[in-house]
Amino acid sequence: MTESLLNVQDLETQFKTPEGIVHAVNGVSFKLAQGETLGVVGESGCGKSVTMLSCLRLIASPPGKIVAGKALFKGKDLLTMSTDEIRGVRGSKMSMVFQDPMTSLNPVMTIGKQMAEPLILHLGMTQEQARKRSIELLGLVGIPNAGERLRDYPHQYSGGMRQRVMIAMGLSCMPEILIADEPTTALDVTIQAQIVDLVKRLREEFGMAIIWITHDLGVVAKIAHRVMVMYGGYIIEEAPVKELYAHPTHPYTLGLIGSLPKLNEDGRTRLYSIDGMPPVLYKKPQVCPFAPRCRYVIERCWQENPPLQNITPDHRVACWVDTTSESERL
Amino acid sequence: MSTYIIRRLLLVPLLIFGVTVIIFGMLQFLGPVERSALYVRDFPKNDKQIQGIIRKYGLDRPIYEQYWRWLVGVKDPVTGNREGGILFGDFGYSRTASQPVIDIIKNRFPNTLDLALWAVFPMLSVGIWLGVQAAVHQNGWVDQLARIFSIVGTSFPSFVFGLLVLIVFYANLQWFPPGKMSDWVSQLIFSGDFHQYTKLLTIDALLNGRIDVFLDALRHMALPILTLSYINWATFVRVTRSSMLETLRMDYVTTARAKGLKESDVINKHARPNAMISITTLAGFSVVGLLGGVVITETVFNYPGIGQAAASAAQQLDVVTVLGFAVFNGLILILANLVVDILYGFIDPRVRLA
Repeated sequence: MTESLLNVQDLETQFKTPEGIVHAVNGVSFKLAQGETLGVVGESGCGKSVTMLSCLRLIASPPGKIVAGKALFKGKDLLTMSTDEIRGVRGSKMSMVFQDPMTSLNPVMTIGKQMAEPLILHLGMTQEQARKRSIELLGLVGIPNAGERLRDYPHQYSGGMRQRVMIAMGLSCMPEILIADEPTTALDVTIQAQIVDLVKRLREEFGMAIIWITHDLGVVAKIAHRVMVMYGGYIIEEAPVKELYAHPTHPYTLGLIGSLPKLNEDGRTRLYSIDGMPPVLYKKPQVCPFAPRCRYVIERCWQENPPLQNITPDHRVACWVDTTSESERL
Repeated sequence: MSTYIIRRLLLVPLLIFGVTVIIFGMLQFLGPVERSALYVRDFPKNDKQIQGIIRKYGLDRPIYEQYWRWLVGVKDPVTGNREGGILFGDFGYSRTASQPVIDIIKNRFPNTLDLALWAVFPMLSVGIWLGVQAAVHQNGWVDQLARIFSIVGTSFPSFVFGLLVLIVFYANLQWFPPGKMSDWVSQLIFSGDFHQYTKLLTIDALLNGRIDVFLDALRHMALPILTLSYINWATFVRVTRSSMLETLRMDYVTTARAKGLKESDVINKHARPNAMISITTLAGFSVVGLLGGVVITETVFNYPGIGQAAASAAQQLDVVTVLGFAVFNGLILILANLVVDILYGFIDPRVRLA
């Protein structure tokens, strides 16, 4: 890997709430290579969306604030560039697809108009060119009758179709990175599979890098090259997808993979679940944030927060415990 | 869209029926004798005369018959002239103004309309603009100012505000006089050199090419417009602000930002049109309020609109006139609701198909 496309270093994001400052992202560093698909996994509220929104400075401020770190896109820091520069990146070099297709399209604007916006803005197209390109794009994501459907409003589309529109819109300016923030969570299982297949096909056609945020380990296995597991605003494990499933090392990852139902088990075994709730961090944790829920917790976990360390050249884990024997068993 | 409009139009007769039944129902709280007293211009000399009136106007007939008669009137079998019937414009005879109620409306309504016409723009535009600014700069100084203004505006009565501006701008500065026009304008109208095409003074002035008359009319309306705007701004700022704040939290606003749109485009093209949906309802009611005559403002500034006439009729217990105004107001309300409904269709595509 030479120069990474996106290089995030020590990113920290906080939110001011009436109850106190919530430390949502607490020093996250990762890299994304050209054309690579990175899966980001974790429970709700673990900071995965906030991390990616922070990179594009889409955190509502106030209450949110990026307090430290860098996000280098081709060597330029997205976090310090001017408002006009970051606007030039948004939707053009890096675009986003959001979780809920029912609410992420403007209900009072036609699909055609919404699709034309980035084309006109970033590629300098005329209305007519933008219309033609939108029809091509909608065709590409599998929406029939695209020419007529451009005049429709979002409520005339089904959920799956809206998500296709969002993807078409995200890809309209040939971005180098597509950030998909739980794009399949709000959809039916069958539609989920269609969307995953669609994105895989488009990845081959467009060659963009993808950051796929999800809490669905099954989806990640299908699409990602590399997976990053987040907990409490930290990356706690990171590995190529096969390695992660074969040798999950962090107790939390073990728990996630362990709580997937298995076909070969007899129906009487109780599905494994991780006890407790993910933390809301009003203080930056000084100890391991997972310690209260961890089955393997040792003395040291309550004294120091483990740093993310390489256990093999491309496998990083933040844990004091050696769980190798456990992961063999799974 | 056209089926949507047609469906709305079909509702209109139903609404008119509802409004008239309610107003007519109010009349029925009075007995036949009392109601007969509403119809006579002079005091009846004896009991027989009252009975005659009751028979003549059918006040002892069943209610539905009376209602129908009130609605469409009766044809005189001999002359063929229609008598009564609010649907044909016969709202009764005003005892206190000594003229038919419809004539009062004809005389007064153009003035009210004229005032509403010029009050609506500053009222809506400034109120909505300020509300949007307050929401966009939430907790900033614009927002704080707008919120203080909104509380003061809601709690500081319009008649006090009206008197205050009268003292400052009329009594002290002599900039804006009350009333409707200066003496020379009324003399001009009286002389017949001034054609009254629409009876709206400002429009007529423009049609006659008399800028001086136009400016004089505006000068007289300035303080009422200011007062009307002031009362409505408070509400518009509050509603626009909360509606905008809600919209700005929506996912599609983040989508718009993620596209790389300028913040001004995000607000004006994506957020505000959505926020306008709830503001339209309020705007509709406010405009109805203006058209129905703004009693307090017209009275304070001695502006000869329909509200002032209604107030003076009510003070003299002129039931027929007040009911006539009520029916007229109800019809305006129905019309304005129709307009708002149709506007909804344009603003919100989801409504069109529902």
